Amino acid sequence: MKDLEGPHPRKEPRFPVPLSLEAVEQVLGDCADFSQRTVFLHGDPGRTATVCFLAGMARTERLNDYVLRPLAQDPLLSSLPMDQIFGQLEKGALYAQSVERVTEMDPAILGLVGGGCLLFLPDQKDCLLIPVETEEKRSVGEPENEPALKGARDSFVESIRTNTSLVRRRLRAPELKIREHIVGRQSLTGVDVLWLEGIADQETAARVEQRLDAIDIDGVEAAGNLEEYLVEGNWSPFPRLPFTQRPDRFCQGLLEGRVGILADGIPLGWLVPGTIDQFFRTGQDRAYHWMVASALSLVRYFCAVVTLLLPGLYIAVVTFHPEAIPARLALSIAAAKQEVPFSTIFEVLIMLLSFEVIQEAGLRLPGPIGATVSILGGLVVGNAAVEAHIVSPAVLIAVAIAGVAGYTMPSQDFGNALRLWRFALAILASVGGLTALSLGCALLISHLAGLETFGVPYLAPFTVGVQVRRGHPTLFRLPLPRMKWRDGAARTANRRNQR
Amino acid sequence: MRKGICGVTLALALLLSGCSALPYPREMGNMALLRTMGIDLEEEDVRVTVSTGTRARGLQSETEEAMALSAAASSLSGAVTALRGMSDSFVFFGYVDQLLVGESLAKAGLTRTLDFFARDDELSLGAQMWVVRGDAGSATASGNGEGPDQRLETIQRDGEMGAAVLSRSAGEVFADVQDLGSAFVPALRLNEESGALTPAGYAVFRGDRLAGYLEGEAARGLEMLEGHAPEGVLEEAVGSQPQSVRVVWTGNRVSYGDGGMDLNLRAWAQLMEYGSSLTEGERAALARETERRLTGQVQAALSQLRSWGADCTGLGRRAALRTPERLERTGEGWAEEFSRMTIRVRVRTELQE
Repeated sequence: MKDLEGPHPRKEPRFPVPLSLEAVEQVLGDCADFSQRTVFLHGDPGRTATVCFLAGMARTERLNDYVLRPLAQDPLLSSLPMDQIFGQLEKGALYAQSVERVTEMDPAILGLVGGGCLLFLPDQKDCLLIPVETEEKRSVGEPENEPALKGARDSFVESIRTNTSLVRRRLRAPELKIREHIVGRQSLTGVDVLWLEGIADQETAARVEQRLDAIDIDGVEAAGNLEEYLVEGNWSPFPRLPFTQRPDRFCQGLLEGRVGILADGIPLGWLVPGTIDQFFRTGQDRAYHWMVASALSLVRYFCAVVTLLLPGLYIAVVTFHPEAIPARLALSIAAAKQEVPFSTIFEVLIMLLSFEVIQEAGLRLPGPIGATVSILGGLVVGNAAVEAHIVSPAVLIAVAIAGVAGYTMPSQDFGNALRLWRFALAILASVGGLTALSLGCALLISHLAGLETFGVPYLAPFTVGVQVRRGHPTLFRLPLPRMKWRDGAARTANRRNQR
Repeated sequence: MRKGICGVTLALALLLSGCSALPYPREMGNMALLRTMGIDLEEEDVRVTVSTGTRARGLQSETEEAMALSAAASSLSGAVTALRGMSDSFVFFGYVDQLLVGESLAKAGLTRTLDFFARDDELSLGAQMWVVRGDAGSATASGNGEGPDQRLETIQRDGEMGAAVLSRSAGEVFADVQDLGSAFVPALRLNEESGALTPAGYAVFRGDRLAGYLEGEAARGLEMLEGHAPEGVLEEAVGSQPQSVRVVWTGNRVSYGDGGMDLNLRAWAQLMEYGSSLTEGERAALARETERRLTGQVQAALSQLRSWGADCTGLGRRAALRTPERLERTGEGWAEEFSRMTIRVRVRTELQE
């Protein structure tokens, strides 16, 4: 028990031994992918060099052409004194983009793991680290979760350098700053912080970097490994770090004065500070005509209210306040409810749960089977349940509308938070009708009002918390020539974005 | 975490402290949703008859007859309470949007009934109100097993479109009784043979008691005084054949002047059917004849209302808006003054083909 509660010290340096080939062999020698090759310099058996690398991490062609071939063929290497050979190799005898002389174990081992090769000479206390890493990675594809009907079709991939290049190609300004931090003791994942100097708030960028440096975890294997460590308090289901797969949207965020985060191995980009309106925006908002984009934005906000409140409102009105329903609708509901053996509360909660089960089953199964499950679950079972008088059609319609309305949320994370609160509000409504539902809504607003990301209130678009004028409406979009101001909530250094 | 525990504890404490009067859940499937309520006065008792619509009895049995219940007690609230125990379903009064008042109750006074509607948790003054010329209980149970709700809805909608008597809510009537000291309520008559309810003019109340009925031309006049187009079509013999004219819109302006009241009405009338185009002279003659008929209708209504001392359309108040110093005179004693004063009626008609 004591061990479980013990300290979590970071071992610095990782390998507290002098650098040598033997020490490297001791660390990695029992690994299946560790390889080493001893070569004669220009065929001289009296002069040897040993090259170490990790198979799979180093690219064979590069190793052969850039390192082994010069070592074997350069006549100068057989004539120079041994203590000058490293100097010669550093200055151009090797055909690599960079050659670094390493004197300690940690950078040597980490360079080896990163895809480099180590070159040792006998009786030398240092070695050369030559980058020959392989570049096997997924090619840039379409953003599957944020499809574009009218716009760029490239998407972030798992390689962080590819992602930074996608951003650089769009924002060629040298003011774009990219700073790398290593997160994860075991994964040593590169996490880059990007911002536009002169536009983004320097303090926010500094805070992001500070938090990244403070993360002391084993590895960054999922988005949550960063998200849950970067935001203050994790007791809210609402996401506070908006993310995107689309480089164009990411760049738009940087142009608005936000700070971007990219992590190696995760094909997403985060933008901070996150405010609630970010989760209602899509990459297409600026591509469509402003009237259409505005109408769609209003629809999304309306759908958020519908998905959140409809089941609870149905329970409250039908069970506690039937007089609030128009007479004809009430008669229809009463007639449909006549032969259903369950209470309205039970019906709605069970249907909500069934909806989640069907959705989860559809998501976990492969595409075609998932679609079949959805059709079977949604249509066949739903229809059969209504015909068998297990649920009333009105409940089915209310739950289905709430579910479908939830899918209009551009952010899946935000939609998931609404789903959780939908359950809570439905349960509250079943306890105390509209009174309890109103109380629940007040709690929700209070909860949202208490959230912050990097010092910016979550509800900043609808409040005056940041004491800076927002500059443009939140619920709808003006024509772009009229949107002359960057979002005040992002605390940008330069608010004007056009003449 | 500590804050959360404190919040839950506070909420529980609030509930335990007596603030736990949350609404009581009821299942709509177990409810008898009443649509129509008829109230009669029987010697010393109040008899309440209620009826549901046919669709309230289940999805699979739409043709099932409407449920009608009736109970009598010494008070309206007593009768309503008695009704609650008469059905195997929960009797829900929240959908009573049609109130039928029997002639007996109308003569005895409406105030207690309307006051009960205003105070009750489920009943509301938004219910449409009619006076039944006869027994409201029979009218409520009418409809040949289907209940009177559909028929009453049709009458109400026709009234809103000018095709039947005007509809009035219990709230409007109650407000008029309190404010003007008189009110009018559309009247219905139950056809004993067909079992159907038909419009039968307007019941006029002085105070909260029935003063009499306006029918025929006088009823049309009341509709114009109220600012609505009169129901029905005027048939005038102008030219070689009879012409049908329908008034589609009216407006009026009331003012005090020269020791009396001036009532100026404008009416837009439309020729409904004619064999051949009218000459200018015939059109002018038809407009004059229409004006004469409309003037007659308004005067018939005014004559009756003045004889009862019931300014139920608020002419005095409306005229006083133009002459505020006269406003005080529309209070106490206005009924007598209304009966005595000279009212000059002028109608202008615009005829459209």
